[in-house]
Amino acid sequence: MEVEKQIGGAGEIRPPGVPDEDLSRWQRAEVASLRVPFRVKLALVWLGVITVLGIMFVLVRFDLGWMAEHARFIFLGIPFTLLISVAAIILAVILAVLGSLARLSRNPIAFGVSGFYVSFFRGTPLIVQMFLIYAGLAQIGGNLRTMGYAWGELLILDSLLAGILALGLNYGAYMTEIFRAGIQSVAHGQAEAAQAIGMTYGQMMRRVILPQAVRVIIPPTGNEFIAMLKDSALVSFLGTVVSQMELFRRAQLVGIADFRPFEALILAAGMYWALTTVFTFFQQRLERRLSRGYVRAGSFQLGGGAAGHAG
Amino acid sequence: MRRPRFSLVAVLAAGALLTSACAEETPGGGGGGGGQTEPDDLLAEIQSRGTLRVATDPQYPPQSSLNDETGEWEGFDIDVATEIANRMGVEIEFITPGWEQIIAGSWQDRWDVSVGSMTVTPERDEVLHFATPYYYTPAAIAVREEDAATLTDVATDFDGATIGLCGGCTYEFYLDKTLDIPGEEIEFVIDDAEVRTYNTDVPAVKDLEVGRLDAAISSLTVLRGAQEEGSPIEIVGNVFHEPLSVAVDRSAALDPTRFVEELDRIVQEMHADGTLIALSEKWFGEDLSTKS
Repeated sequence: MEVEKQIGGAGEIRPPGVPDEDLSRWQRAEVASLRVPFRVKLALVWLGVITVLGIMFVLVRFDLGWMAEHARFIFLGIPFTLLISVAAIILAVILAVLGSLARLSRNPIAFGVSGFYVSFFRGTPLIVQMFLIYAGLAQIGGNLRTMGYAWGELLILDSLLAGILALGLNYGAYMTEIFRAGIQSVAHGQAEAAQAIGMTYGQMMRRVILPQAVRVIIPPTGNEFIAMLKDSALVSFLGTVVSQMELFRRAQLVGIADFRPFEALILAAGMYWALTTVFTFFQQRLERRLSRGYVRAGSFQLGGGAAGHAG
Repeated sequence: MRRPRFSLVAVLAAGALLTSACAEETPGGGGGGGGQTEPDDLLAEIQSRGTLRVATDPQYPPQSSLNDETGEWEGFDIDVATEIANRMGVEIEFITPGWEQIIAGSWQDRWDVSVGSMTVTPERDEVLHFATPYYYTPAAIAVREEDAATLTDVATDFDGATIGLCGGCTYEFYLDKTLDIPGEEIEFVIDDAEVRTYNTDVPAVKDLEVGRLDAAISSLTVLRGAQEEGSPIEIVGNVFHEPLSVAVDRSAALDPTRFVEELDRIVQEMHADGTLIALSEKWFGEDLSTKS
């Protein structure tokens, strides 16, 4: 008994029915806490967070008039943020399908090229890739043109296209690994069965493997898209022109012009946050829908779901 | 298993459509490339195109910045560039790469000329052709208002200080003591400064305000602009004067010689007929078109 008491210590929760006088102050607090519903506690935490943010907002002394005046201008960058992200994610999906099939193939060219692709684009910073594509590729194009190859011109991309290409290539490399894992998650028997009934490689992939892999692939792809929404801000460093400015560039330039950079950035931050919140909501619904056929009736399902690095 | 197959094909098809749509835009962005008679020099090419493509870094008020009401660029450099295009009888288009891209040369003919308050230095002169300077600004050093009483002498009070400025700008070369401006006597009076570089001038001023820096060096025009917008800084004094010029890439695919001569002629004309004085007074409140 003596030994047991020492091991027990103060942190132990006693079974109900033990008289209060026996409990330490901490333990009494814990018992009291059990009576407060979780939702009430959560509301209190949120209230605390909002209070702290509110105090910070007052202390930072933002020029609220300026913010109200310029919010609309910054807001109008959202279509371009979406255009960049959607175009780049489509490019990334195409590259990921090709890349993952190549990573799983026995063809040395496909395997080698895709290996280099994934290694390089995962191994270097996105912003560096952007400048390489905007400036480096253009230099190759310019040299080709001086050598008499007029098509070198095609490598001299404007900033928006260079940005989309860099985002697509970079995310394509990460998603190649996601897609590869998705394809490998389909049970071996499926491929064997497909081969047994005489399907070619293409038929097997299109009709049997990929449709089943998609369920595994979609949720992380949604996460990638949400991350892309934020990384699209990097395109602004390539200097997009007025008619193509996305959220961050609008915020940055209008902030610089009026010496109100922080006011502009906090507006942009709020808009990015709203965007990702909306897309996270849709992603969670999509995820639930896709897993519907795989969840046992009546079984308990964890809420939340989509987290990952996009959050 | 039926639905997923369809959706995958749809995604691929949509992707193919979109990438081809993007690809079609490319040649337009590159400019030029018409099928008619090929002009053999840059000036002829610009005239046959009918558009002068000007590079500007719009993070530099009051020379070049965004006017969010009109959705267009505005400032002294923008007005000067527009006037140059008018006098050439062509339309104007602004391209907005980062400052580092502009000063590095090798523009790959994405734009024809920089009208961006660029100081002529021997290093830049190796990659860029410069026309006659169109105005002159002092580079000045600023401190926080509360330090203005103690930091008063440029020559003695800033040795070892933490000073912010835009990277790749002449101010950085000034503190490195490597700055060389043809035709200018420069005295390097600040020793052992701890240099902090930013991608443009305004962030340096902002960091000065919050106290991360002891001082910031920038163009007098930028510092005055910041003061007008309520920035609590004091300008201590000037450190050197810089002539600012219009620049053209030496590595342009077409011969730029006649284009540079034309720019020279137009800038001199704008000096002579008072256009530059008027624009300078409009944007800076004083005449900076000549060395003061």
